[in-house]
Amino acid sequence: MRQSEHKESNASLLQVSNLSIRLNSAAGLVHAVEDVSFTLKAGQTLGIVGESGSGKSVMARSLMNLLPRRAVAQRKGSVLLSGREISTLSERELQRLRGPDIAMIFQDPMTALNPVLTICVQVSEPLQQHLGMSKQAARARAIELLDAVGIPDAVNRIDQYPHQLSGGMRQRVVIAIALTCNPSLLIADEPTTALDVTVQRQILDLLTGLQKERHMGMLLITHDLGVVASRADFIAVMYAGRLVEVAPANTIFKSMQHPYTEALFNSIPRINDASHTRLQAIPGRPPQLHNPAPGCAFAPRCPYAQQRCHRETPPVVQAEQAEHLHACFYPVSAPVALGGVR
Amino acid sequence: MTNTSEQATPLQLRNRDDIVLRLEHLVVNFKVGKQTVQAVSDVSLDVALGETLGLVGESGCGKSTVGRAIMQLPPPSAGRVLFKGQDLSNMSGEALRQTRTGLQMIFQDPISSLNPRRKVRDIVAEGLQIWRRPNQDARVREVMEAVGLDPDTVADRRPHQFSGGQCQRICIARSLALDPDVLICDEPVSALDVSVQAQILNLLEDMKQRYQLTMVFVAHNLAVVKNVSDRVAVMYLGKLCEIGNAEAIYARPAHPYTRALLASIPDMDPDARGQQGKIPLLQGELPSPANPPSGCRFRTRCPNAQARCAEVEPVMQAVADSMTPDHFVACHYPL
Amino acid sequence: MPAKKHPKIESRAQNFARALQQVFGRGFGPGFWLAVVWLLIVAFCALFADWLPVRDPLDPVIANRLNGPFTSNLLGADGLGRDIFARLIHGARVSVVIGLTAVSIGMLIGGALGIIAGYFRGHFERALMAVLDVILAFPWLVLLLALVAFIGQSLFAISVAIGFLWIPAYARVARANTLSVVQREYVLAAKAMGASTSRILIKEVLPNVILPVLAYGLVAMGLVIIVESALAFLGLSVEAPQPTWGGMISEGKRHLATAVHVAVIPSVTMFLTVLSLNFVGDRLRSRFDVKESNL
Ligand SMILES: Nc1ncnc2c1ncn2[C@@H]1O[C@H](COP(=O)(O)OP(=O)(O)OP(=O)(O)O)[C@@H](O)[C@H]1O
Ligand SMILES: Nc1ncnc2c1ncn2[C@@H]1O[C@H](COP(=O)(O)OP(=O)(O)OP(=O)(O)O)[C@@H](O)[C@H]1O
Ligand code: SF4
Ligand code: SF4
Ligand SMILES: [Mg+2]
Ligand SMILES: [Mg+2]
Repeated sequence: MRQSEHKESNASLLQVSNLSIRLNSAAGLVHAVEDVSFTLKAGQTLGIVGESGSGKSVMARSLMNLLPRRAVAQRKGSVLLSGREISTLSERELQRLRGPDIAMIFQDPMTALNPVLTICVQVSEPLQQHLGMSKQAARARAIELLDAVGIPDAVNRIDQYPHQLSGGMRQRVVIAIALTCNPSLLIADEPTTALDVTVQRQILDLLTGLQKERHMGMLLITHDLGVVASRADFIAVMYAGRLVEVAPANTIFKSMQHPYTEALFNSIPRINDASHTRLQAIPGRPPQLHNPAPGCAFAPRCPYAQQRCHRETPPVVQAEQAEHLHACFYPVSAPVALGGVR
Repeated sequence: MTNTSEQATPLQLRNRDDIVLRLEHLVVNFKVGKQTVQAVSDVSLDVALGETLGLVGESGCGKSTVGRAIMQLPPPSAGRVLFKGQDLSNMSGEALRQTRTGLQMIFQDPISSLNPRRKVRDIVAEGLQIWRRPNQDARVREVMEAVGLDPDTVADRRPHQFSGGQCQRICIARSLALDPDVLICDEPVSALDVSVQAQILNLLEDMKQRYQLTMVFVAHNLAVVKNVSDRVAVMYLGKLCEIGNAEAIYARPAHPYTRALLASIPDMDPDARGQQGKIPLLQGELPSPANPPSGCRFRTRCPNAQARCAEVEPVMQAVADSMTPDHFVACHYPL
Repeated sequence: MPAKKHPKIESRAQNFARALQQVFGRGFGPGFWLAVVWLLIVAFCALFADWLPVRDPLDPVIANRLNGPFTSNLLGADGLGRDIFARLIHGARVSVVIGLTAVSIGMLIGGALGIIAGYFRGHFERALMAVLDVILAFPWLVLLLALVAFIGQSLFAISVAIGFLWIPAYARVARANTLSVVQREYVLAAKAMGASTSRILIKEVLPNVILPVLAYGLVAMGLVIIVESALAFLGLSVEAPQPTWGGMISEGKRHLATAVHVAVIPSVTMFLTVLSLNFVGDRLRSRFDVKESNL
């Protein structure tokens, strides 16, 4: 993607190149994000899927420079937002960006909300701060927003505390907060994992609607391949801190190249299978991100691994289709039928 | 298992000897200001030994509250929870504390359910320490291995250094450490990617085989629910709408809400985008549980609603031509 | 867990060193360290005042009256010709003792009340908060005067009086932190495991409440020192001739027209100390403010 989109990079909303992030932990450096590059245009959605613990949230947070300063040991690469480098901005400049330019929906609704403040205070604060609204106006707008994200009875709910809401409602409050300032880039870290399918539908419709209306770019991190399939323009698959495959949504579903992508798709429970069907989990343990071994991170679990995979790290290469990139020496070339087993 | 309550025994409660968990007319109300939120109203269901009951429903309909009421955290406002025939809701402090170890719960929010100041090892060993079980270290290692965590590298770290999915595995390890009879899983896999999800679901399935674990499994992902469940219960706004064999419900939902749920599942095929099914999607909002609609609670959003639905509350009735017996629905005009 | 089988498990000392490095390692900046050094000096003076090679702080040398700094005396002499440097060093003792005692009293009593109120809620909480509100509504100086009149003017009595004044603030901090902890699901999870109430309070709640409370303690200590000086102004602090910073400032104000340094030097010392306490307390608080998750 890097090569192919260089010429139109000024049209891109977000351009991440060679981003690497290492974190400190008791057991040593965690290579949470390794050499990640991608581009997102305004009005587009990039869906990111991948192993849990593969660095999706770390990457998302680093785009907003929201990682705890103490935790970050190293950070390389550049992040351009509308052509402007944001990894070198000062905290004050970043604060001005957060809200109107980038907003984020956090993965964990309870910890993103302050348990001792009412919903009203938490939703109307950015309105007062960034948009300079009066207290009453902010409250009225907050009620509208809560309505928009489908919180029933928003007028009464607004004065409650987070623990009095159900998990899904907390998540919707978090979404409402992210939308307060009409951001041009929305980073949604598992926005609907806590929601049931009908509400998920509503929220995704809301987000897609906003996206159309405001030409908002969206980074959609999720575990639900159904969600990315139905909402994302591009899908990126992350494994052990690296993007192992990036492609337009329909391409990846029809001709996935990376063995991990294939394994991921095979482990989905299908609604048409009988109850208690044994799922095809990927054998072995998820990769260690401390002192990663040389070679392809998926090699210990990969059915196609060869000698070479254990020695060299596969580079990102172009697949047959346009805009389809993957990082594997021995890609799964034959097209795979959906849900089928090779 | 005698039923001493004055209310009639609900139809959907089965008359079997191996019922491990039985809820009778469970009601949970919360006082919020002057209002009373009826989070759970009159839910009755039962789970047999080694069975998994999937619990699904709109977010905010009271699934977690049912799970917590079973654990008596907080105890229900009315109704009974029978665990192996013992009424938990009548039990006092110490007896309850003893009995409750047979029941464990995996909470919905993995990060919030881990104490940030304690090491993973201590978190997993918590129950073992409280009950002074022997061989704690070995057991801790065993359950950590079982959920796919490497005890050597994770035991000394604190929860904030883990991703959401890793935290969930710590929670699962903690709840398995005490060898419970009943495991209540409140969305145990929604924070996990599909491959870890598959591992955990297989793991739970193995545990079930090995220890005859009985489970109540709350989840939003209907494919996951179908995979793990023997029976499925569908809730809407604090009430049970439909309960029955998993295959039967998925093949032929009898309640309009169940049908709407099944129709909202995002399609895996990107080409099918925007042309999902002919079944109308749910319109409108979940009404407030502080002020639920009269009659059938689903009537404000039900495409089949008739005048009668507003007046008479539907009671559970057997589904006429279901694939299996024990399939019940609370609707005047079942599909 | 047998250590030989798992070589990765580190010794306690290594763990401790790493923990220290994590807490103090990076990102504090030179200001923090200057403040820490200053506080260490003050603490050292307070501890070893009697053995330090300074003049007798109580010995009036009439010839040196109101001498400026760097003359006969290093930092000059006061209205009675006593050495200001020596008096500062001995005065530090009073400030430190009052600061530590008062803050500990406030922390222990207020913290315990706050945790209990936040955990059990209900009538106790409501009653406690009402009482605290009443105490807070009283002008603190009046309350302090009443307390000092009641229990006397010894160092200990004054510490207790000031400590009492701090109970409401601590109770509030502890209660607020407890409230947010209690709603976390890990408390429910512990209950589900069968943990007793005391175990929950000690293992789950206390560790999450104590650090913010301790950090607040440093900030509070700075305020306590100021309160002491206010008492001294009213002549109600530790009785003369025992030197205290507040007492020195209050004596110095008589000579403001002729010898500014007599009041200014103890004022600056006190100012620096209070500033350092605030600075360090604030930094530590933000550092200890561990979110449940960094991600
Ligand atoms: N503050 C931290 N200190 C040290 N390591 C961390 C920290 N936060 C995260 N990590 C590690 O970084 C890796 C990536 O975590 P991240 O939260 O980005 O995963 P994720 O892809 O979002 O997973 P999930 O889908 O489960 O949320 C994990 O291995 C995690 O253990
Ligand atoms: N402590 C509480 N105080 C007041 N109301 C509460 C409390 N806990 C839950 N509720 C209310 O009870 C209802 C049911 O909540 P519950 O958490 O059981 O929903 P849920 O079905 O688990 O939803 P989700 O799928 O979103 O987690 C909601 O309306 C919620 O606001
Ligand atoms: S590079 Fe080798 S080990 Fe890695 S995914 Fe490709 S085939 Fe498998
Ligand atoms: S009882 Fe009436 S309103 Fe309720 S689900 Fe059935 S048809 Fe719809
Ligand atoms: Mg994440
Ligand atoms: Mg819930």
